[in-house]
Amino acid sequence: MRSIQRRLSLGLVGVLLVVGLILAQGSLWLFDHSLRRYLQEGLENEAQTLMSAIYRGPQGLQLDERRLSAGFQRPYSGQYFRIDFAGEAWRSRSLWDRELPQAAEPGLQAALADGPEGQQWLILRADYQRFGQDISIHVARDYTPVLDSFQRLQRLGLLLGGVALGVILLLQRFIVRRALRPLEQARQQIMQLQQGQRSQLEEQVPDELQPLVAQINHLLSHTEDSLKRSRNALGNLGHALKTPLAVLVSLLDREEFRQCPELQGALRLQLEHIEQRIARELGRARLAGEVLPGAHFVCARELPELFATLEMIHGGHLQLSWQASADLRLPWDREDLLELLGNLLDNACKWADSRVQLTIDSHAAGCRIQIEDDGPGIEPSRRELVLNRGSRLDEQVTGHGLGLGIVRDIVDTWGGQIMLTDSALGGLQVRIELPYRTP
Amino acid sequence: MRLLLVEDHVPLADELLASLTRQGYAVDWLADGRDAAYQGVSEPYDLIILDLGLPGRPGLEVLREWRGAGLSTPVLVLTARGSWAERIEGLKAGADDYLSKPFHPEELQLRIQALLRRANGLANQPTLDAAGLQLDEARQCVSRDGQVIELTAAEFRLLRYFMLHSGKILSKIQLNEHLYDGESERDSNVIEVHVNHLRRKLGREVIETRRGQGYRFTGDGL
Repeated sequence: MRSIQRRLSLGLVGVLLVVGLILAQGSLWLFDHSLRRYLQEGLENEAQTLMSAIYRGPQGLQLDERRLSAGFQRPYSGQYFRIDFAGEAWRSRSLWDRELPQAAEPGLQAALADGPEGQQWLILRADYQRFGQDISIHVARDYTPVLDSFQRLQRLGLLLGGVALGVILLLQRFIVRRALRPLEQARQQIMQLQQGQRSQLEEQVPDELQPLVAQINHLLSHTEDSLKRSRNALGNLGHALKTPLAVLVSLLDREEFRQCPELQGALRLQLEHIEQRIARELGRARLAGEVLPGAHFVCARELPELFATLEMIHGGHLQLSWQASADLRLPWDREDLLELLGNLLDNACKWADSRVQLTIDSHAAGCRIQIEDDGPGIEPSRRELVLNRGSRLDEQVTGHGLGLGIVRDIVDTWGGQIMLTDSALGGLQVRIELPYRTP
Repeated sequence: MRLLLVEDHVPLADELLASLTRQGYAVDWLADGRDAAYQGVSEPYDLIILDLGLPGRPGLEVLREWRGAGLSTPVLVLTARGSWAERIEGLKAGADDYLSKPFHPEELQLRIQALLRRANGLANQPTLDAAGLQLDEARQCVSRDGQVIELTAAEFRLLRYFMLHSGKILSKIQLNEHLYDGESERDSNVIEVHVNHLRRKLGREVIETRRGQGYRFTGDGL
């Protein structure tokens, strides 16, 4: 879709060009027309003057040279005549060696005739009956000065038109930009929404945009609410299921069950399966999938709290550190990413001897999360197994597997990849590559 | 050690009460958030176990109120909401540890021990060490130089409290308050009797009497 600004500009230029050209050409034509009408009267006068200058002399009809205007005497002066009667033709001296073409019809001739020295002749033919003879008088006048001034006018008009067009376009651009400013603001706010820098659009917009903005805001808050509600409901469900489970697990410690270790073991195993299944499925159901604008993960805000929590849980003997650029925002749901990092870091803390390190690097296409520890690590042959277990119901295992299972669910939802390698610290390195979604 | 257990699920609370009492803790049990908010600050507990999904008032709100009122008692949060976002929320509200349901009773026991030691500035080791004595909280016996000395439940409770507050003067009232729950009858003579039993088993110098002030655990070495 092209921008509204450009559409408006193109439309306006088109309309202005068409209208401007029609107007300019039309007014030129009208001007030309009325000028010829005016010149026609002059020519008719001249023809009459010529007619009246004809008299019957001693040798038949004669022209009284004194009554002719000087323009007819000077060669190529721009004023010409030709008088035809009874096989005779008189020509003005100004014609010199040129012929004045005879017109077929009396009156002003529509077409200009070519004259000497690039002249264009406007010719009028007048027919008279005098002295018992048909006398046909052609009067011509050079029209080029008028044509020249028309051309100058045209050029000037073109220039003025062009300048006016430019000014109008600039003004239009300015006006349109002013009028579209709310749209531009909305566009920027939507960008900010995508980057997670705001959670709602500004409601103060013109009437035309009001429904759109209100609808977007409504959708946003609706989605946020329903996510919150469903997470809350899942939390309640978890609470309702896990509390009785906790009772059962506690009951298993009673003296009566200790008497029969086999029964105790079997029950405990099944309870563990139920527990893990619930945790895994609830964890999966909690995933937001698409990030909501207000719920981006701001490293500088979330990581210190997460690490404070980990330090509290795992005590002071571990050196926990994280590296991420100061203003890094990751475009995934805050709670999901906390769950991912929390589980991985928690695992790392369980196995580390003294150090756990988190590194988050962002690049153009995505981000890389690395979690390293200096613990015993996992043998290369077992890594695939560790990653995959917990993914099927009959492969549930305790401890390590569950956290990774949830991590895997999250990474899969986001279309990322998870790899286990050796860490420079000596233990395990969990590397996660997450691609950014392109909006 | 006197604990407050705030848990609204009665069967779980029953189980926890029984197992905590077996471990020698004096436990008061509340099921409502509003009661807990009041009693948490009015009684001298050594540790509070708080469930977050409470009727009356949400557990997190109660916790924030306690911390706002300056209560420094360690709080162990017990919850079915085990997501990391909620854990961080809980620890921000002032929890000292977080245990997700369901949990093994031993896990709870270990967390309680660790919290109590941390609150009293002691290292978290398998046994509680103070002044040459090693107290095994799981087996409820004490050893010195590898020699194991058996204890009765009452002696164990008293000795654990002494060892957690090694070197401090403890009045009889304080001992009473922290060793018995709110419903037990308190009799200062009982403390005296148990102190004497401990002295008989561990030696007279282990606990010295400060006239008019109370007792002080010194151990052998001091």
